[in-house]
Amino acid sequence: MKKSVRRTGAIALAAATVATAAACSSSSSPSGGAAAQSTSGQQVITFAISGLGAEGTYLEKQVDEFNSANPNIKVVVDTDSSNSTVFLSQVNNAFAAGASSPDLVESDVTYTAKWAAGGYLAPVSCPQSAFNAAMWSTGTFQGKQYSCPFFLNVEGLWYRKDLIKTPPTTPAQVVSDAQLAMKEDPKLKEGFAFEASQYEGEITSFMVLDKAFGGSLNNLANIDTPANVAALSYLHSLIYSSKVAPAAVTGYTEGQTGNDFDNGFAAFAINWPYVASGPFSNGVTAADIGYIPFPAASGGQPGVALGGSVLSINAKTSHIAAVNKLIAFLTSPAQQTARAIAVSDAPAVNAAYNATLFKASSLWQTVQSFAAQAAARPVSPYYLTVSADLQEMMSSAYASSSSSAPATAFKTYAPTVAQDANPAAS
Amino acid sequence: MAVETPSSPVNGRPARAGRPALGRRMIKPVGHARERNDRRLGYLMVAPAIILLLIVTGYPLVYNVWNSFHNDNQTFATSPRNFNGVQNYNKVLTSSIWQSALERTLVFTVVSIVFDVVVGLSLALMMHRKFRGRGLLRASVLIPWAMPTVVSALLWKTMFDPRNGFVDYILGAFHAPWSNLVWIGQSVPRAWTAIFVADSWKNIPFVAIILLAGLQVIPNEVYEAAKMDGASWWQTFRRVTLPMLKPALSVAVIFRTLQALLVFDVVYIMTGGGPGTSTEVLSYLNFREFIIDTDYGIGGAMSIMLIVLALVVSFIYVRVFRPTRGA
Repeated sequence: MKKSVRRTGAIALAAATVATAAACSSSSSPSGGAAAQSTSGQQVITFAISGLGAEGTYLEKQVDEFNSANPNIKVVVDTDSSNSTVFLSQVNNAFAAGASSPDLVESDVTYTAKWAAGGYLAPVSCPQSAFNAAMWSTGTFQGKQYSCPFFLNVEGLWYRKDLIKTPPTTPAQVVSDAQLAMKEDPKLKEGFAFEASQYEGEITSFMVLDKAFGGSLNNLANIDTPANVAALSYLHSLIYSSKVAPAAVTGYTEGQTGNDFDNGFAAFAINWPYVASGPFSNGVTAADIGYIPFPAASGGQPGVALGGSVLSINAKTSHIAAVNKLIAFLTSPAQQTARAIAVSDAPAVNAAYNATLFKASSLWQTVQSFAAQAAARPVSPYYLTVSADLQEMMSSAYASSSSSAPATAFKTYAPTVAQDANPAAS
Repeated sequence: MAVETPSSPVNGRPARAGRPALGRRMIKPVGHARERNDRRLGYLMVAPAIILLLIVTGYPLVYNVWNSFHNDNQTFATSPRNFNGVQNYNKVLTSSIWQSALERTLVFTVVSIVFDVVVGLSLALMMHRKFRGRGLLRASVLIPWAMPTVVSALLWKTMFDPRNGFVDYILGAFHAPWSNLVWIGQSVPRAWTAIFVADSWKNIPFVAIILLAGLQVIPNEVYEAAKMDGASWWQTFRRVTLPMLKPALSVAVIFRTLQALLVFDVVYIMTGGGPGTSTEVLSYLNFREFIIDTDYGIGGAMSIMLIVLALVVSFIYVRVFRPTRGA
C-alpha cells in the first residue's frame, strides 16, 4: 500500500512537471499558439507592442475603441518588453519559429527591412500618399512596402531662448553662443549636451549633425566621407577642443540630455520634442526654450534626424483583412491627432497635422516642418549589425582626446560597415 | 553457503552494524527487492528534474550543436540552411574580433578570480573570528550576492555616473585626484575598473561564504596542536588552514571561474561592450551574433566553443584540486 502510494505520488509528480512544462511552452508570449477563431466566428488577432506607461495605456484604449466598433474582431494587445533589444528578440523568436502570432507588430523603424528580408512580413496595403515620405521609406524593401508608419519622431537642436537671444545660424555660432552662455550663467554645467553613450541614440544625434554638414550614412559601402568625418569631428571638438560639452556626455542617453536641459544645466541640447513637456526646474520654463534644426554648415542642410514607430503584419497571419482594418483605424487622421494630443506621439499621417492639433500646442507646427526635412537611418536588413558597428566607431572616437580620432575611427570602421552591410560580397 | 559476518562486505557494500548476520542472510531476498524498489522510486523521484533538464538544457544544447555545423543566418529567408562542416568554427577561430574577446575574457577571469579569492578569503577569516555583531556581518555580507546581477550592475552604473554618482562624490570629498572622472564611455582602463568593482562587489560574498563554511569544518584541535608546536600565525595559515581549506577553495574557484568566463550581464548593462569594442567579452559577442545578427550558425559555434572552454577549465581545476592521497 505504502509502496503503491509512493509510486503513484512519484508518477503524479513527473506527470505534473511535464504538464507544467508543456503549459509553459504553449503560453510563452509572443510565440504562443496561433491566433484563434472563436466559436462565435469572431476573429482574434494579437497585436504585439513594446510601449509601456502612457503610450501603452493609450494604445489599449484605442484597441478597445476598435473592438467596440468591430464586434466580429477581437484584438488582444500583447505588451512585450519596453527594452528595444529584448522586444526585438521576443518577436524574432516568434517569427523564426513560424508562429502566426503576433498578427500585427508595432516596432522601431529600423526593424522592418530585417524582418522583410527574413520573409516574416506580409506587404501592407496602406496608402503611401497619406504618410510622411521619410517614414514611408523606412518600410520599403526591394520595391515592396512592409510597414505602415504609426508615429514619427524628429530630433533637432533645443536652445535656451532666455540665454541665447537669436537662434544660431552656423555650427560655429552654436559653439560661440554656448561659450558665452556658460560665461554669463554660472548655473550652466555645460554649453552643449548630446547623446554620446554607446547606444542607438548616439547614431541619431550624429545624424542631426551629419545632415547639417552635408553627410549621409545611406551609402554603407563607403561611410568614410569628408562630410561624415566633419560631423563627427565637430561633436568630438565640443568635448575636447571648445569644451562646451563635458566628457560626461560619453555616458549620456537622451534621458540624461533632456534632464540636463530641462533643469537649466545646458544651453543647447540635441534631443526629441518630448523635452518640451518638462518637468522644468531652476527657473527654466517652457517659454524659455526653443527648437530648431541644427544650423547648416557650408554644403549642408538644416539638421534633423528621424525616428518613430511602424506597424508590420506577420506573413503567417490568417487574418490579414482584420489586421489591415486595425491598421487603417490606427492610422486614420482622427486617431493620429487624438493620440498626439494625448501622449505626444507625432502623427505619421500628414492630414493629422490640422487646426485641432496646432491648437493643442504650437510645437506641432515645428514638428511638422522638421518631419518634412528629417534624415532617416539607412534601410538595410543588416542595419542592426551596422548600427552596432557605428556605435562602436563613434564611441571609440569619443574615448580619445586626439583631434584625429574621428577620422581614424571612420577609416578603421568603414570596411567593417561595408562588409556587415553586404556580407554576401565578402 | 558461507555465513556472512557483519564486518564482511556484501556485494561491495559494508555490512550494516548492529544486525545479526544470520538474520540479514535470511531476509536477504526481501532486502534486495526492497532495494530494487527503493532504487526505482529514486529514479521516479528524480525523473521530473531530469525530464525538465532535458527539455530546457539538453534539447537546446543538441540543437545548438546541430546549428553550429550549418549555415543558418535568419536575416534572409532565401539564405541556404545547409550543412557546412566546420566552416562556422573556422570563421570564429580566425576572427580577430573573437580572438580579442577571448583575450579580454581570460584576463577578466584571471584578475577577478585572484581578486575575489584574496578578498573573499580575508573576509571569511574575519567573519570566522568571534566578535560582537558577527551574525549581523555574516548576514549583511550576503546581501550583494542575493541581488540580481542586472540590478547591481545598474546600481553601480549609477554610482559611477560622473555627475551624480556616489563614487565621484566620495572621491571629491577626499579631494582625490580621480574625482570628476568619466568612468564609463571615455577610458578603457576606467571602464574595466568599473566592471571589476561591480562584478567583485556582487561575487566576493559568494566566495567568502563558501570559504567560511570551509573554515568552520576545520577541527579546532589541529589549531591547538599547531599552537603547542609553536607555529606562528602565518605558519598555521599556510600549513594548516590553506591545505584544509582546499575542498572549499576548489568549489569557490570553479564556480567563480565559470561565472567569470560566461560574464555577460554586468558588461551589457554597464558599458555595452564599449568604449568601442574594448570591453566586449565572449558572451557579449555571442549575444550579438544571436540577437542582433540572427546568425544561429556562427552563434551556435561560438556558444559551443564557450561551453568547451568552460569544460576544459573545469576539468583542469578538478585535476589540480583533486584530493591528494592521505589528505
